[in-house]
Amino acid sequence: MSTLEIKDLHVKVKAEPEHPEILKGVNLTINSGEIHALMGPNGNGKSTLAETLMGNPRYVVSQGDILVDGQSIVSMPVDERARLGFFLGMQYPAEINGVTNAEFIRAAINARRPDDDQIPIMTFLNQLDATMAQLKMPEDMADRYLNQGFSGGEKKRNEILQLMMIRPHWALLDEIDSGLDIDALRIVADGVNSMRGAAFASLIITHYERLLDYITPDVVHVMKDGRIIETGGPELAHTLEQTGYEHLKAGDGHD
Amino acid sequence: MIKRLPMANTPKIPLARYMKEVKDSAKVPPMAVSAAAGISVRHPSAAAGFPRRISLDDWLAAAPQQITELTIPAGYHSAEPVLVTGPANGGGLLLIHVGAGAQVALQERWPSGGQTLGVGVQVDVAEDAHVDWLTYDSFQAKMVLVSRTAALADRATLNWTLAGFAQNSGATLINVNLRGTGAQATVNVGVLASGTQHVGYTTAMTNYGRKSKGHINQRGVIVGKAHLIFNGIGHIIKGARGSDNQQENRVLMLGQDSRGDADPILLIDENDVTAGHAASVTRVDQTQLYYLMSRGLPKALAQRLVIRGFLEAGLLEITDKDLKADLFKQIDETLVNPDGK
Repeated sequence: MSTLEIKDLHVKVKAEPEHPEILKGVNLTINSGEIHALMGPNGNGKSTLAETLMGNPRYVVSQGDILVDGQSIVSMPVDERARLGFFLGMQYPAEINGVTNAEFIRAAINARRPDDDQIPIMTFLNQLDATMAQLKMPEDMADRYLNQGFSGGEKKRNEILQLMMIRPHWALLDEIDSGLDIDALRIVADGVNSMRGAAFASLIITHYERLLDYITPDVVHVMKDGRIIETGGPELAHTLEQTGYEHLKAGDGHD
Repeated sequence: MIKRLPMANTPKIPLARYMKEVKDSAKVPPMAVSAAAGISVRHPSAAAGFPRRISLDDWLAAAPQQITELTIPAGYHSAEPVLVTGPANGGGLLLIHVGAGAQVALQERWPSGGQTLGVGVQVDVAEDAHVDWLTYDSFQAKMVLVSRTAALADRATLNWTLAGFAQNSGATLINVNLRGTGAQATVNVGVLASGTQHVGYTTAMTNYGRKSKGHINQRGVIVGKAHLIFNGIGHIIKGARGSDNQQENRVLMLGQDSRGDADPILLIDENDVTAGHAASVTRVDQTQLYYLMSRGLPKALAQRLVIRGFLEAGLLEITDKDLKADLFKQIDETLVNPDGK
């Protein structure tokens, strides 16, 4: 059992210190075993929150804290956070030439294991084959260069493949549903659902209720203008689908 | 009687200064050749067969310089590479004649040490012949001047990859002359420069023949205090109608004190042609690094993978697994120790 606490989090873009904060005091607590959905209109800080939790060096925390079981991780670099259990399924994963998908995923798994206990190659390949089959990915995607020339949908599946292979504790999923058709969405959702358990928690960012029909969240939050303005159960997502975000009160901060 | 030959066009590379250096005078054995029966190997005593076009050719051909001459007969056909290796401590001249319709794989390796070396290579490819040529420069010498020229007759094709993973400073001139109608060549160059190396590559592709096609693709990674210059010269001669000349020169700088240049030059003397160039000098892509690290890879490993990927685009044609593994190992070692051995 683990707890992720976000306390009064204020965030800026590092290269633009003169610009206003993107996050203006976010408070959120996620416990192991829970799935939280983060909804809200574009450009209101959802992705910034996910990137800040992961440790993207583009962003800087100007106030507040992020705690895992009471320990601050704000000064921890991205790779250490990953090894601590964070995973960010990205909207636009980078393409990397010359590094095969399989080689990369194996390196990611081994980075979490001691040097004298690396994953045996056959164990790894069997796991990879089974997981790819579950996600209905063609076998040759293991040997293709990382995300290189992948379609939008293939990239999303590949993010979920990594999620399932790495088995992180805290999965931050940033619009993994965008650009997926209904069949692909179901497959991706099944993948995430298969991760559910006492040693897994997730923060799922989405615009649409559609994804939440397949992955039922325990808690739904709405973010607007850099703050969480509403929190509720799964029914909140359905309400929002009918009413939109417009009627919700804007944050009362001033830029 | 010494006729004064013109200087080569090598922007930003101090070739004249390099040529003031005196070549090592020790007599060394000629290149070692491993070739199938049917391929003739000679070691002529005079450098008469080595073409002199620029002043550098005279410098290269000046004694003592051993000559190795290979003749691949017309119609020769084998995937087994002809392996030619430079001497342990010296340069040399290499002449290769590829007969009409032959299909051959050449591997040229230079692990040579010494102070100042000269290497001259001339490959003539006759009509309809196809050559896969792999050059692996891993010189341990201090300074090396290299000139390699390929001339292609009608419909001849050349697929050439040069891996420059050497310790030396100096210059490498690469000339591909598409003499015949429909001749086609691709030159891929992948260079890793480190320590205090100061190296320049001038890769020229010249279309003489109609409907000839030439592509240059140069990739360089610079670490430590090294300086790497990539010149690409695409030249379409008047009369080479329907020909195509493309080039790409890309340099990735890692060290704070690394320096890189990528200079494309296009000289077009004919109208009915296509030509293009792309060039960039960049630092490591932070988005790629972040992505790899966000999966738990430590920074050093993430950096190694990004660089490998970048160079890979220049070394794509290398199918020799051992050689590729060796190159990757060198990349890893160089990044651990960027200031040289």
